[in-house]
Amino acid sequence: MNDSRPIFIPVILGTPRQGRMSEHVANFVVDEVAKQDGVETELIDVRKVLLATDNAGQDIKDSQFSDTVNRADALILVAPEYNHGYPGVLKHLLDTNLKEYIHKAVGICGVSAGPFGGTRVIQNLLPVLRELGLVCIFWDGNFSTVQKTFDGSGKLLEQAYIRRLDKFFKELIWMAKVLRNGRENVSLT
Amino acid sequence: MPEQRKKMKCSECGVEMNYHADKLDFTAGLEDPSAIDPDFGGIMEECHACPECGKTVTRRVT
Repeated sequence: MNDSRPIFIPVILGTPRQGRMSEHVANFVVDEVAKQDGVETELIDVRKVLLATDNAGQDIKDSQFSDTVNRADALILVAPEYNHGYPGVLKHLLDTNLKEYIHKAVGICGVSAGPFGGTRVIQNLLPVLRELGLVCIFWDGNFSTVQKTFDGSGKLLEQAYIRRLDKFFKELIWMAKVLRNGRENVSLT
Repeated sequence: MPEQRKKMKCSECGVEMNYHADKLDFTAGLEDPSAIDPDFGGIMEECHACPECGKTVTRRVT
């Protein structure tokens, strides 16, 4: 077993909407997860992964996105809650891969303008992620009243999120390490 | 219990890969209905990972 490899955790910014406050959240999450020992990360912006809309699923796979997910040990989704659900563009992107996700960890940061921190988008994503073969952690990021959590330039105004996210990262990294060991060393048979 | 098949070797490292999962793909069958496992209703894929470099590959069972 080669334990010297860093854990790779890309962050997916799940909305292309103009004026998206989730961009501040995603940038903050990338900065914070990059501070964790032995972790590499990068931002995947759904706006920059150009997918066809006259088809769906693995037929329209983006090779760069697939390579990144294939290399990943875990994913972080930053997903705003739109009408109690997830952005359709995020689902469209997630559906373009399958085998790349198997036995990898995933954590979700829900974002909302209201007080519930995207709890409903998180709950709606869980069965989707499970079917994709991902393993969901039990810590979430809940960014409520996001317009008051960051200023217009993206500066964090509520420092408690740093400590909250640290718990989320610790659990995600633990799960990513365990699942990497499982993928590489624990046989199904 | 999955059937025993020939172990896969990593194309990067040459070492034996670990067979860690079976996954049903319900979408791939649309293009190749003959590959659908009749007991499961989808295409069964084996998932293998390299213990040295982490490379992952899949192999269709049916």
